[in-house]
Amino acid sequence: MLIEIIDVSISGLLNGSVYALMAIGLALVYGVTKAFNFAYGSFYNMGGYFAWVLLISLGMKGGYYTVFFTAVPFLFIVGFILEKALVSPLRKRADWEMKVMMLTLGLGLFLDIGYIVVFGPRLKSLPEIVEGTTSIGELVFLNQDIVIFIISITGLLCFAWILNNTRVGMAVQAVAQNPAGAQIVGIPKDFIFAATFAISTVMVGLGGILLCQKNFVIPQASWPIMIKAWVITAFGGMGSIRGSLYAAFIIGMLEAFVGYTLGLIYIDIAILTLLLITLALRPQGLMGKE
Amino acid sequence: MNLKSMVTFLAVTYGLIGIMPLFVGDSVIIMRILTMILIWSIVASCWDVIMGFAGIFSFGQVAFFVIGAYSSAILSVSLNVPPVVAMLMAGMITAMVGVLVGLPCIKLAGPYIALVTFAFHMALKPFFSGPLGKAIGSGGSRGILSVPPIKIFGMAFSSAELVPFFYLALFLTLICSGVIVAILKSYWGTAFLALKDSEDFAVSLGISAFKYKLMVFGITSFITGLFGALYVHYVGILSIRVLSGQVFTTLMIMIVVGGIGQYPGVVLGAVFTVTAEQLLRPLGIYRFVIMGGLVVAVVLLLPDGITGLIRKLFPGRQEKESRSIETHKSSLEGVG
Repeated sequence: MLIEIIDVSISGLLNGSVYALMAIGLALVYGVTKAFNFAYGSFYNMGGYFAWVLLISLGMKGGYYTVFFTAVPFLFIVGFILEKALVSPLRKRADWEMKVMMLTLGLGLFLDIGYIVVFGPRLKSLPEIVEGTTSIGELVFLNQDIVIFIISITGLLCFAWILNNTRVGMAVQAVAQNPAGAQIVGIPKDFIFAATFAISTVMVGLGGILLCQKNFVIPQASWPIMIKAWVITAFGGMGSIRGSLYAAFIIGMLEAFVGYTLGLIYIDIAILTLLLITLALRPQGLMGKE
Repeated sequence: MNLKSMVTFLAVTYGLIGIMPLFVGDSVIIMRILTMILIWSIVASCWDVIMGFAGIFSFGQVAFFVIGAYSSAILSVSLNVPPVVAMLMAGMITAMVGVLVGLPCIKLAGPYIALVTFAFHMALKPFFSGPLGKAIGSGGSRGILSVPPIKIFGMAFSSAELVPFFYLALFLTLICSGVIVAILKSYWGTAFLALKDSEDFAVSLGISAFKYKLMVFGITSFITGLFGALYVHYVGILSIRVLSGQVFTTLMIMIVVGGIGQYPGVVLGAVFTVTAEQLLRPLGIYRFVIMGGLVVAVVLLLPDGITGLIRKLFPGRQEKESRSIETHKSSLEGVG
C-alpha cells in the first residue's frame, strides 16, 4: 500500500514537472504580452511531431540530442514568426484581446487538422529517451521518467536563470511591469513581445517532446493539453510564474491520486471542481495580484 | 447601427431567406441549408450579444446549445413530454444553467471567464457520455437515436417535411430576432454597452453589474437552449459529437465573418458560413483546414467582418461625419 502511494506520488511529481514547464510558458506570455494563446496545445503536438519526423521518419543520428538541439531553434523561430505575422498587427486595435483569442483558436484548428492531413489520424509512438529501470529497494523507477524529470527541472531552472540574470530576461520583466515605461528607457517592446511568445512556444514544444514519449503523439491531444495548461495558469494566478509552478505540481499530484483512487474519467471533473472552488474564493487565483 | 436600419437589415435578410422555398422548395439540400442558416443565425446572434455587446468572453455558447438539445430530447424520449412543452422547458433549464455558469463569471476578469465557460463546455462531454449522463437518459456515447418530431395541432414538423419545418423555424427566428433587437435597443442594451466600455463608471451611475450580467446570461442561454431543442427535434438524433471543436469553430467563424459586436452582421456570417461549409463538404477533412485558415485571415484582414467591409465600401452619413471630424482634428494638429 505504501509502495503504491509512493508510486502514485512519483507519477504526480513527474507530470507536475512537465506541466510546470508548459504552464509557465503560458503564464509568461500572458503576463508579458496580455495575449491569450489558444493554439498553445497545438505547439505541444508540434514538438511531438517534430521529434517523430526527426527520429522515425528521417532516422537522424544522435537520437534525442539532435532533437533537442534542433527543436529549440525551430520552435523559437516558428513562435517568433507567428507572433510577428499574426498577433502584432492586431495589437493596435482596441478590442485586440478578443481578436487574438479568436485568431489563435482558428490557428489551433488549422494546425490540429493540418497534422491529421499531413501525418494521418493514427497515433505515433516515440522511442524512449533512455531504456531500462532503476530499483531502490522495492521501488522501481523507469529510467525514462527520471530523465524526463531531470530535463524539465533543468529547463525550469534555465528559464528562471534567464529571466533573472540576463539582459533579455530583465527586459521581459520590465515590459511585463510597464510596457510604456520600458519603451521609454529604450527596451524594444515589440521585439520582447515576439521573443516572449517564441520562448513560450519552445517551452510547450519541449513539454510535447517529453510527454509524447509516454503518451504517444495524438493529433487530438491539443485541446486537453491546452485546457490543462490554462487551468494551471488560472489556478496559480494569471501571469504569476511562481503561482503556476506551485499549481502545476498540485494539479499533477491531484491528477495522479484521483486517477488512482476514483478512475481516469474523474480527473477532468476533479480539476474543474478545484478550479471553480479556487476562483470562487480567490478570483485572482492562488498567487495572482489584484 | 440605429434601430431603423437594424430592423430593415433583418427584415430584408430574413425576407429573402423566407421566399427562397417558393423557388427551391423541391431541393432537399438547399432546404436543409436554409433551415440550418436560420438555427445557427440565432445561436450566433446570442453569442454576439453576450460577447460583442456585453463584452463577456463567454465560450459556453455551444455548451448551452447542447444542453438545450439534450434536455428536450431526454424530456420527450424518457418522460414522454410533448415536444413543444419539452422545448420550452429545455429553454428554461438552459437559462438556469446559464445563470449558474454566469454566477462565478461576474467577479472574474476576461480570460478567466473564457476559461470557466470553456472548461464547462469540455466537462459536458465526459458528463453526457459517462455513467452520470446515462443515469439521466443521455444514452452514453451512442447518444439518443429517436427524438420525436414537433407536433402542433396534429401536424408533425420534422426533417421529413422540410418546407413546413422551415417556416416553423423562420417563425421562431423572427420572434427571437425581435427579442434580441428589443433588448439591444432598450435600456438593457445601453446598460450592457456601458458595462463593457467602463464597468467602474457604469456602476458609479447606478447600473447593477450583477443584475445585468446575470440577465444577459439568462436571456441568451434561454434562446440558445430553445434553438438547441428545435435543432434536435429537426435532426432526430443527438450525440456528443455536437460538442466537438469543429462545431465550436464553425459557430465562431459566423461571428468573426459577420463582425463581433456588429449585431445584424452576424446573420450574414451565418448565411456565409453554413453555405460554405456545405459547399466544401466534398473536400472532407480539408475543409476544417480551410475554415481554420479562414478565421485567421478574416481576423487579420477584415477586423469588423462583412459589416466592416460594407461600411468601408458604402460609407453612410454617420461614417462621413466622424471622418470629417477626424480630418478636422488632424488638420488642427498639423497647425499646432
